[in-house]
Amino acid sequence: MGKPDTKNTPLSPEDKLFSGVLLLNAKVVGLAMGLILALGIFVATNWLIIKGGERVGPHLILLSQYFIGYKVTFLGSLIGAAYGFALGTICGALMGWIYNKIVAFRH
Amino acid sequence: MKEQAVVIIGAGPAGLAAAYEFICREISPVIIERSGTVGGISRTESYKDFSFDIGGHRFFTKNEGINQLWEEMLGPDFLKVNRLSRIYYQGKFFNYPLRPVNALLNLGPVESLLVLTSYCRARLSPQPEEKSFEQWVINRFGERLYRTFFKTYTEKVWGIPCSEIRADWAAQRIRGLSLLVAVSNALFGGQQTKSLIERFSYPKLGPGMMWQRFMDRIMAGGGEVILHSEVSAILHDHKKITAVAYSNPETTSELSAENYISSMPISRLVQLFNPQPPPDVLRSAGQLTYRGFIIVVLIIDRQSLFPDQWLYVHSPKVQVGRIQNFKNWSRFMVPDQSRTSIGMEYFCNENDRTWKMTDDELVEMATREMEAMEFGPASQVIDSYVVRQPNAYPVYDSTYKQNLLNIRNYLDNFNNMQTIGRSGMHRYNNMDHSMQTGILAARNCCGESHDLWAVNEEKSYLEEDRITKETPVVPEKVLIRAFARMDKFAFAVAVGTICGLVVLTATLWIISRGGDVLNSHLRLLGQYFIGYTVTVKGGFIAFGYSFFWGFLFGWLFAYLRNLFLAIYLYRIKRRIELLSLKDFLDNF
Repeated sequence: MGKPDTKNTPLSPEDKLFSGVLLLNAKVVGLAMGLILALGIFVATNWLIIKGGERVGPHLILLSQYFIGYKVTFLGSLIGAAYGFALGTICGALMGWIYNKIVAFRH
Repeated sequence: MKEQAVVIIGAGPAGLAAAYEFICREISPVIIERSGTVGGISRTESYKDFSFDIGGHRFFTKNEGINQLWEEMLGPDFLKVNRLSRIYYQGKFFNYPLRPVNALLNLGPVESLLVLTSYCRARLSPQPEEKSFEQWVINRFGERLYRTFFKTYTEKVWGIPCSEIRADWAAQRIRGLSLLVAVSNALFGGQQTKSLIERFSYPKLGPGMMWQRFMDRIMAGGGEVILHSEVSAILHDHKKITAVAYSNPETTSELSAENYISSMPISRLVQLFNPQPPPDVLRSAGQLTYRGFIIVVLIIDRQSLFPDQWLYVHSPKVQVGRIQNFKNWSRFMVPDQSRTSIGMEYFCNENDRTWKMTDDELVEMATREMEAMEFGPASQVIDSYVVRQPNAYPVYDSTYKQNLLNIRNYLDNFNNMQTIGRSGMHRYNNMDHSMQTGILAARNCCGESHDLWAVNEEKSYLEEDRITKETPVVPEKVLIRAFARMDKFAFAVAVGTICGLVVLTATLWIISRGGDVLNSHLRLLGQYFIGYTVTVKGGFIAFGYSFFWGFLFGWLFAYLRNLFLAIYLYRIKRRIELLSLKDFLDNF
């Protein structure tokens, strides 16, 4: 008949909650930021297209200096979204990775 | 001397559950029971066909296995009862669990205002230390509410001032309401809205019916239940229990077994050890105390007295602590529906003044108090019966923990002895906890390894929303990860670095493409980043600026995120504590 050791009580979930430090899932943060940036560019571009006017998106077109092939057109919004997704994903993942490394170092 | 597979001391819910588990595993246990009935403190007594419960035992559990076992035993004889129990205080009935509006209306505007003021004062300026139950409650609910709804009843139950009851006992009462489960429910809602506090199950003829069925099954399966037999010695060789001696009016016998399980009071158990335990263990055993109570059953020639199954009596003018109305639990508890039987419960210590009163004196006192509470004239009491129940509640005084630890350490020397149940573990186990300890003890005998002391340790009870609170919508692991504190510095550095890199890369990209670099729109950044130009040097200056602002933003974001989450968790924690007010008395 086994009698388990009952003297060492593990931390309760509440204790874990209050003593724990958040770790980010770098992939998920990257994906989220990528999606947000992609959506932002897509919406911003198409909003200007729908609004119309003499010159459509004179400032937004400056994005083409970084996102080669980007234009303030529907097709351009898709290209910009793809760039935005890539940039956001890289930045988000990198941010999550840096955060986790510092947390691991400090705790 | 006959060799048995297992000997179980005590035929209460724990002992019977253990025995039944053995039967299910085709092992025949022997149970030794001191009294003439099974069920222990949750037995059903009978007098002239009036049945009564010793203290009122509702059947509810979060343990699905135990619930299934109960249903299996009783089937259609397991009634579902809508609960009604109120607090009787200063001639008024307060809803229980307490409802603020009802409580405030009953207390009146002046007293309500004083209660609210006292509550606010306690919240704003709590007592710095919480050593006693009194301090613990006052810090949470205010002194006025404490004096109205906690002090009198608690002191009636335990017989000692609230200032002498340890605060951790009160904390244990509410620990079952997991903060994480509450968070999960607050965020995503519960799975079941019906609160078990409003409804419970009850055997048609009282809890004794359940334990009788258990005994029948055990005996049909080859087990043996020896009634009217008191254990007189536990024989051992310092490493193992070798036999249990018991006696009854006719005979004295010994039973030897491979394993022993005891649900008798743990203090009494070690006192029966032969050879005797070390003096410090015996001293600890002598210092563990139990609270008993007396139930005075009054049979009243009236069809109805009050609609509640039981009343908590908080009035300090009467000694009675609780009143059971048995026909409201199950109408089958009373043979004649034109009559009512009530159980006036007096909490006392064995051999104190109340305990030593004669039955006639007790009946006279109960009748007088019933009349004083205006439940009817004494002339309507047509019969009475008195039951004295020793060892009903383990007392959590200031020394019990150390004493219990001493005894446990000593018992750990004996590999073939386990203690179970409420008295057996000196722990405030409910019926389901007790049964669970019995079942697990039986499984331990069959080679499994369960920690009986963990039962009712990690997840104590509050019945309010019991099912939803015990079944989080989101796993605890996920909640812990989501609600953990964010490292502000780490997040600030991460955000700052990314911001800096983005601006640096953008600058370098423009430079690498050539053309009229100086007139690039990127130069506008210089309006914010003084000294910035679209050059390599400017890129690094921008990196510095961006890192700085990103760092600030990231730190602030993490700080606010932690702050808002802390406020959210604090509010939920407060809500849990307030729920304990709603449910507090049921834990006695």
